Amino acid sequence: MLLRLNTLACAVLGALALTVPAVHAQERTVKIYGIGAKSGVVRIFGLNSEAAMKAAAEQINKAGGVTMGDGVKARMVIEYLDDRCTAEEGINALRRIASQADAIVVNGPTCSNVAEPLFGILQKKVGDASDSGLQFPIYTDVAAKGGLASISEWSFRNVPSEAAMYKSMFEWVASTRKDLKTVWGGVEKDFAHSNATYNIMKDNATKAGFEVAGQSEWLLADTSFATQVREMKRANADVVAISAHPFTTCGVLKEMQRQGVKPKMLIGLTSSSSMETLQGCAQQAEGIFIPTSFAPVTPEAKAAAHAVQAFNVNMDLHNAAAWENMFVLKEIIERQKIMGKPETLAADRVKMREGLASLKQTSGLLGPVNRGADREAIKPFLFVQAKGGEWTVAHKP
Amino acid sequence: MTYDNLIDLSQSVIDGVLFGSIYALIGIGFTLIFGVMNKINLSYAAASVGATYTSLLIVQAAPPALVYVAAALAGGGLGALIYLVCFHFLPPNKPLATLMSTVGMLLLIDEAIVHITAGMPQNYPAMFVGANIDIGPLSLRSDLLFVFALGCAVMVGLTLLLKRTRLGLATRAVAQQSVAARLCGMSITGTNMNTFVIAGFLGGTAGAMAGAAIGVLSPLLTLPLTIKGLVVTVIGGLGSIPGAIVAGLLVGGAENLFQYIRGVSERDIYVMLMLFAFLVFRPGGMFTPPAGRD
Repeated sequence: MLLRLNTLACAVLGALALTVPAVHAQERTVKIYGIGAKSGVVRIFGLNSEAAMKAAAEQINKAGGVTMGDGVKARMVIEYLDDRCTAEEGINALRRIASQADAIVVNGPTCSNVAEPLFGILQKKVGDASDSGLQFPIYTDVAAKGGLASISEWSFRNVPSEAAMYKSMFEWVASTRKDLKTVWGGVEKDFAHSNATYNIMKDNATKAGFEVAGQSEWLLADTSFATQVREMKRANADVVAISAHPFTTCGVLKEMQRQGVKPKMLIGLTSSSSMETLQGCAQQAEGIFIPTSFAPVTPEAKAAAHAVQAFNVNMDLHNAAAWENMFVLKEIIERQKIMGKPETLAADRVKMREGLASLKQTSGLLGPVNRGADREAIKPFLFVQAKGGEWTVAHKP
Repeated sequence: MTYDNLIDLSQSVIDGVLFGSIYALIGIGFTLIFGVMNKINLSYAAASVGATYTSLLIVQAAPPALVYVAAALAGGGLGALIYLVCFHFLPPNKPLATLMSTVGMLLLIDEAIVHITAGMPQNYPAMFVGANIDIGPLSLRSDLLFVFALGCAVMVGLTLLLKRTRLGLATRAVAQQSVAARLCGMSITGTNMNTFVIAGFLGGTAGAMAGAAIGVLSPLLTLPLTIKGLVVTVIGGLGSIPGAIVAGLLVGGAENLFQYIRGVSERDIYVMLMLFAFLVFRPGGMFTPPAGRD
């Protein structure tokens, strides 16, 4: 009897011993960090990016997870830190992440005014022993101001080129609407992205043969737009191009309606091609054209939008990039044989950077995403138009 | 200056003066609380915006007028809450403590709005859409004229309330000599609470009027309304209700005037210089006798 019990106990222990590695294998995780604005007035951007990262991780995990360098399958987990869209918080968040033993890459940040100083604390040139900057790879999904990735060889971006988008937009308008000759601009002067994009709009409108008659300026927190819209009315331009975020875009559009300003065409800022604008002023935004790098027009994009909706957010051009980034990172972890262990941390970060640097083309939700020599993405895009409270595809360049 | 420029300049100033009615309503709330308690409630404008957001709960089901009434009621409720949290339980002889508690409340309300709405702008029902009054080439916005009339009515109403009612008598007594008022059987807490509720009603109304005038609500409204409200209170004279009205219109008009002449980037510099000028040459504000300098 005693012998039987001993045999049974040995069998149970043996079975348990066999299952331990399996349990460990299942519990192996690889953490992808995110930085973005989860508080403050651009909180929605951070929430959307985090949701897209989590939705993508869930899909990757359901499909078996990520194969690490030692062949073990790991589950992807997400940790997303709030930078409040301020440079100080962003730098603090990155330093905190870089001190973690499981941090091999970070996705983010939301704001260009955070991305710029954040890239600035990274080592400028890889292998430069005299540069004590952080040696940590960043893959940006949202911050859109042009040319930022050139700041450091550790920084990479998957954001659309607004220069290419507005070039194509104004060329398309010039070729299809020959009755339109003049453009009037509207710009949020104290917001880096709006300001930079307005210059892009202005340059490309001029190159496409339009006369830019002038511009109205306002600030991000302005509450009255009467004077600015009166300038716009006086100019009586055919096209009004607004480079501003949804709150002031809506304020201006409502004031335009009040003063009876009806341009033949309205063009908006890429970041306004989200539900925020339609929630704030769908009626006044009716007809506005905006270039965007996301719309649910391909099976992949539709599936991604559906997956993200399960996390109670909508997919737009910004969190679509966060979704794409997750799959790119999975591919790099597998291809570069990243181990994801504390003892291989420095080597893993270097492998991650090399993996990101070696990319020439990745799969995007709208099609292939090419990579320029400046570590910036060249993404496919299309033009959407607000119609009946929804964004509809107006043109695919 | 061409005729068109002159018209544009005049129209800009008129628009600014009319929009200043909203600053005036906010300024009245600041000044009312200061007049009674001798303390500044920095969370006042944030609570006004918070109350306006609260009124969005019935925006789908009720006509706009009821939405504005809901904002006023919510403002009254928030006013009572702010009195309890930021003033009632704090030592009355520590003005810095109440000042800091209202700063905390401002940030708390702001962050609560951001968290609940994720910072997304919300559509807000406008008043008198398209009903402008045209005088030659100039145009007056009906909704802002209504706010201006409302501000004047509030000024008259509050003056009558303070001068002709028992509540007003109690309020003035508590403001002038709280210990004596208590010895005469007046409730300090009750009087202060009433003041905060009345100021809250005004704040909720001001928030709703701002939302209706802009047509959109955003957490971005709290800071500019706080700053403009404080500027108006200082220029008008702390504790002066007519001063708040006149200063509100003045600040609104000056803002648009400077914007027209110097552009949006420099606008606020001149408004702040105007504030400093008042602080130096007339520190008690427009509606008090000139104070002596040290």
